[in-house]
Amino acid sequence: MEIVSGGVTDVGRVRTNNEDSYKILEGLNLYVLSDGMGGEAHGEVASGLAVDTVVKYCSEAKADSGVTLVGTAPDHFGEKTKRLQSAVQQANLNIYESAQKNQAQRGMGATVTTVWANDDRLSVAHVGDSRAYLLRMGNLQQLTSDHSLVAEQVRRGIITPQQAEESEMQSVLLRALGAHPEVEVDVDEVGIYPGDILLICSDGLSRMVTEPEIAGTLQAETRPVEAAQKLVDLANERGGLDNVTVIVVRFQEKAKQWFSWLWRGRAKKD
Amino acid sequence: MAKLSLMFESKLVKEVPIGNRPVTIGRAPDNDIPIDNLAISNYHARVYYEAGRLVVEDLDSLNGTFVNDLRVERATLHDGDSIWIGKHNIKVDATADAAIPWDSGRKAAAPKINETMVLDTKARRDMLQQAAALGERSQFSPGRLKMPTLVVLSGKLDQKEYLLTNRLTVIGKSPMATVRLRGWFKPKMAAQINQRDDGYYLGTGDKVPSVNGTPISGTVRLNDGDLIDVCGVRLNFIFRE
Repeated sequence: MEIVSGGVTDVGRVRTNNEDSYKILEGLNLYVLSDGMGGEAHGEVASGLAVDTVVKYCSEAKADSGVTLVGTAPDHFGEKTKRLQSAVQQANLNIYESAQKNQAQRGMGATVTTVWANDDRLSVAHVGDSRAYLLRMGNLQQLTSDHSLVAEQVRRGIITPQQAEESEMQSVLLRALGAHPEVEVDVDEVGIYPGDILLICSDGLSRMVTEPEIAGTLQAETRPVEAAQKLVDLANERGGLDNVTVIVVRFQEKAKQWFSWLWRGRAKKD
Repeated sequence: MAKLSLMFESKLVKEVPIGNRPVTIGRAPDNDIPIDNLAISNYHARVYYEAGRLVVEDLDSLNGTFVNDLRVERATLHDGDSIWIGKHNIKVDATADAAIPWDSGRKAAAPKINETMVLDTKARRDMLQQAAALGERSQFSPGRLKMPTLVVLSGKLDQKEYLLTNRLTVIGKSPMATVRLRGWFKPKMAAQINQRDDGYYLGTGDKVPSVNGTPISGTVRLNDGDLIDVCGVRLNFIFRE
């Protein structure tokens, strides 16, 4: 499949610095996004550390399959998914240890949501409330479960999704990177169909823009960077109360080449 | 208030209103609707309200419970439906409940963004316990493990039933589809069922599926017992314990 991606990050209209970080590694089809927290700009340190660690770990794992696994993922998951889980564990450890060593960084933490794409499926790993969505045939489906108090209450039937959206406790997280030396990472694998669109975003987007608007924008704007920018602009129009980061990835059928057998012998592009 | 009318050969035999308690049907005399017939099990089926919907549930009977010609384990009932138990027809008489649509309109006034807090284990447990004291009503009640299942009622598929274990389920001809349709002209992705925090939602694909006879628009939350029709296939969505 052909994969086209783009990302945008913005400080928003209220905050003075951007504590979100993200990275797209086109060669690996790896996408990482992190939303940092902690006073005095330490959120930036945390989210930067999260993204850099995941990128480094996955790049090393790709080069050398002997790289140690950190933590465990259920057996039925594939190799890439287990590696991604390890990468996030390592990121957690790095943030935790950094805060242990630097008094000033105590209390810093971050969310992380990362996707590693294969030919036919996505490996998804996350901690926190930054989201990954998949738009398929007009239906926007959240791939990750928010590790927030209100989302947990909805899952248990204690409040409705409507009440969750209006709750004042939306920022209370049950899980984040950096709080403890070990963290429970949610992992999942999702089959990919040509035409699917992946969106990864920090809560700066999901709190300001509704899901139908996100779906509409992704369908209307076919270029990933433009789509990401439009969503960021929408979030800012609505108040831009938080940093906002958006990654858009489009999965398309490889354009069929007529008489491709004539080109046999030519180096195949992966 | 709904009521069940037991008919035998077009004659009204007994009428029973359905209140807060489930209405039981079977051969044993202590049922709310006792039917003295050897083809009927002692405790054959029961009818009750669940989250505002009227549901009929077969109690592992020998000869089965049928709703409008289809054998069911558990199904949502609507005004005018006929429950068949043996040769007995039980008519359902209910005022239709208006469905409450899930409103996905513009967000209300911007929420207060507090500084992000991470709850430690004890605080988290306390808070969830307090909230849980209000009662847990979700489809994901951690106490009882309920497995969402699609039971094939009619149509040729590769399995008789499908357990929904993934967040995204595709019904279609594609080899990657969970519920694989057979046939030349079936679309790769006819419909989709996706898991959200508050339940399972059916959405369109290349085709527009129907739920309990009504074609859907957008996505529709599935309830225990719903009947799904798509591409000539009929599926019963139920939660198995």
